[in-house]
Amino acid sequence: MLSRIAESLYWMARHLERADNTARVLDINVVHRLAAEEGLTEEGQWLPLLTILGADDRYAETYPDGRVSVQRVIRLLTQAETNPGSILNCLRLARENARAARDRISTPVWETIDALCRTAEARLKATLPPWQAAEFHAFVHREVATVYGLAQGTMMRGEAHSFTRFGALQERADMTARILDVRYHLLLPDPSLVGSPLDYYQWGVLLKSLSGFDAYRRLYQAGVRPVDVIDFVILNPDFPRSLVYCVSRLERSLERIGQRPEGEVGACLERLRAHLAGVGAADIMAQGLHEYLDAFLTALLELSDALTRDYFNHDV
Amino acid sequence: MLKSFQAGGTRWSDAQAERPAAAYHEFYRDDFQPREHYLPLWKHIQRAGQRGLALKAREAHLALHNEGVTFTLYSDQESGIERVWPFDILPRLVTAGEWTPIEAGLKQRIRALDRFIHDVYHEQCILKDGVVPPELIYRGRDLCRDILDVDPPGGVYIHISGVDLIRDESGRYLVLEDNLRTPSGVSYMIENRLIERRILPEFFQRYRVRPVEHYPERLLQRLRQLSPRGAADAVVVVLTPGIFNSAYFEHSFLAREMGVELAEGRDLVCRNDRVYLKTTLGLRQVDVIYRRIDDDYLDPLVFRPDSLLGVPGIIRAWRAGHVALVNAPGTGIADDKAVYAYVPDIIRYYLGEEPILPSVPTYQMTDPQDRDYVLDNLERMVIKAVSESGGREMLMGPTSTAGQRDDFTRRIQADPRRYIAQPVIQLSRHICYLDGELESRHLDLRPFVLHGGDEIEVIPGGLTRVALTKGSLVVNSSQGGGSKDTWVLAD
Repeated sequence: MLSRIAESLYWMARHLERADNTARVLDINVVHRLAAEEGLTEEGQWLPLLTILGADDRYAETYPDGRVSVQRVIRLLTQAETNPGSILNCLRLARENARAARDRISTPVWETIDALCRTAEARLKATLPPWQAAEFHAFVHREVATVYGLAQGTMMRGEAHSFTRFGALQERADMTARILDVRYHLLLPDPSLVGSPLDYYQWGVLLKSLSGFDAYRRLYQAGVRPVDVIDFVILNPDFPRSLVYCVSRLERSLERIGQRPEGEVGACLERLRAHLAGVGAADIMAQGLHEYLDAFLTALLELSDALTRDYFNHDV
Repeated sequence: MLKSFQAGGTRWSDAQAERPAAAYHEFYRDDFQPREHYLPLWKHIQRAGQRGLALKAREAHLALHNEGVTFTLYSDQESGIERVWPFDILPRLVTAGEWTPIEAGLKQRIRALDRFIHDVYHEQCILKDGVVPPELIYRGRDLCRDILDVDPPGGVYIHISGVDLIRDESGRYLVLEDNLRTPSGVSYMIENRLIERRILPEFFQRYRVRPVEHYPERLLQRLRQLSPRGAADAVVVVLTPGIFNSAYFEHSFLAREMGVELAEGRDLVCRNDRVYLKTTLGLRQVDVIYRRIDDDYLDPLVFRPDSLLGVPGIIRAWRAGHVALVNAPGTGIADDKAVYAYVPDIIRYYLGEEPILPSVPTYQMTDPQDRDYVLDNLERMVIKAVSESGGREMLMGPTSTAGQRDDFTRRIQADPRRYIAQPVIQLSRHICYLDGELESRHLDLRPFVLHGGDEIEVIPGGLTRVALTKGSLVVNSSQGGGSKDTWVLAD
């Protein structure tokens, strides 16, 4: 298929996934904010979120007084035109890419993305108080899931579908790794908090933002322990947002696309797989979770570059 | 204007008052009875009644909306406004007797015009013989010296054309305009038919309507035959300027219907005088390009250097015979509105036949006598810029203001070669179902012609465009016109 169309499909999916993930982490934080009052400042509550989404610099620029408030965070991450990563901008870019690849996505998929984008634009004209924000985020979450469902049910399993999957999985792996990294980083330095209600709450939020809380509880009866969370979020092959799961599905998508003989994507995926294979959660903690995730994110970035070189760019 | 629907009556009471004496009415005879071939349709309309028609119209709009059949209106903003395709549910009927001379006339016209283009780009006999004034060609902006003496694949220039026909006050069909570059509308012709079949299946039962939906299939066959590497291995693409083009819907429609790639200029690259498609699996050679980009923007190395829409080197590849361009570059010299006046002579010159379809009388602004006459009678004239289309840069005399007429007088005097004038013709009218009323509106017809070398094929039907504004004679879609499904009836 045309490189330009493949690239549009890939970015359409990445932006949708990005909007969904932003809505997800933001929503969980808004909903669970009250439960966390004890011992946690508003800054402590929101700064990690800004870090996960790579928006801390943008926040400092937008609000030079440095004061952190719910309303400001919601605004910046959900609707700010000036933030390229705001949900609104992600949805617009997703729609723009979908439009460019209109021929290659099914009509229901297009209609859902189009309607999602237009509804978001209409609803984000006003300031969203937290309770409305939560409702809006749930809406985004549902609609993106609808797009995926429709894509699964109505699109041929060919290149178009595979590039779409590839974009979504790559963005998802990226977000999962970042959520885990920032949360863990924030939590671990203070050993006194281990086992405290706050600790439980923070890990719970992490799992909830990945829609994995219920599954985790069923799997790990010992309670919410960092080592188990790491095992679940990084290494569980059946949890659809785990790093192992995403990487294995990326490999499957690549098989459908057809690997380019002189390409590098295959090697990049192999490196990601090797990074995840043969380690346990305890090993990861021992070598340092942050370092481990950092290496993963670097490899993921290399994959992204390789994909662009191999499939999207034939000018060079 | 019609205010109430008389279900039992034979006609709407005030339709008579609405009809100006001058224009031919397609639907009504002079005694305001429906013409004979419209009687079955008329009975169905009456049976459906106001509520039935309203329901059908709503269904049609909804279906067009859901299927994303849109047209982009250009406005002051660059991006334009995307509108649901305006469609009138009442079909226009063309009898077999009317169609036969239209078909013959169009074939004759396209055959002659194609030979004309070939001649101008090769021996130029017609210019040497003084049948068409050489300065008309040399001073026009469409002649391209880079493509002189090129033999296009298949030997044909005008593979696809859409010729605008109108009916004058006596009901005679006239050619208003030849669209030989990248005429649009064929997708809407097909969509109109699909919608009509769905919402008015009962109308079809009484008529034998010749089908049009096979057009993309025929087009693909024709395109594949042009492949320099042979039809079996032909890689065909549709080349579009992109999503902001008013006819983008059509471009994607045709690509989808033919199952070929819809490429933009940036998706193609030239190497070694060949054109390649940039695909995820590397470069893929292209054999036939159905381009919907004007010559001016096709190749920045030959035409406008600032254009980003085209493909650098594509003309070289075409000259080398490695790729077929459809339509071939250069067709613009034959649908220049200044050349239009000479088409009857062109037909006589190449074919030795009398033109079957008459043309609208046309005044050349380069001729002092013509010019003076036109400037004295601007209220009764249509002034058109020769290289513009879509109703741009046009003066409609009868509805113009004094200021507009002064403006055009100055423009014509400054650059006479740029303009032609024609007397205003009252286009024929037809009933339309508009906002719950049956009203008469002016319309034209654009049939589509496929020229495959040995054989020329006219698709039985075409796009009927309707001036949605009461009394207006401007039907262009880009100016907000509407459309009708057009039924050519079998014998």
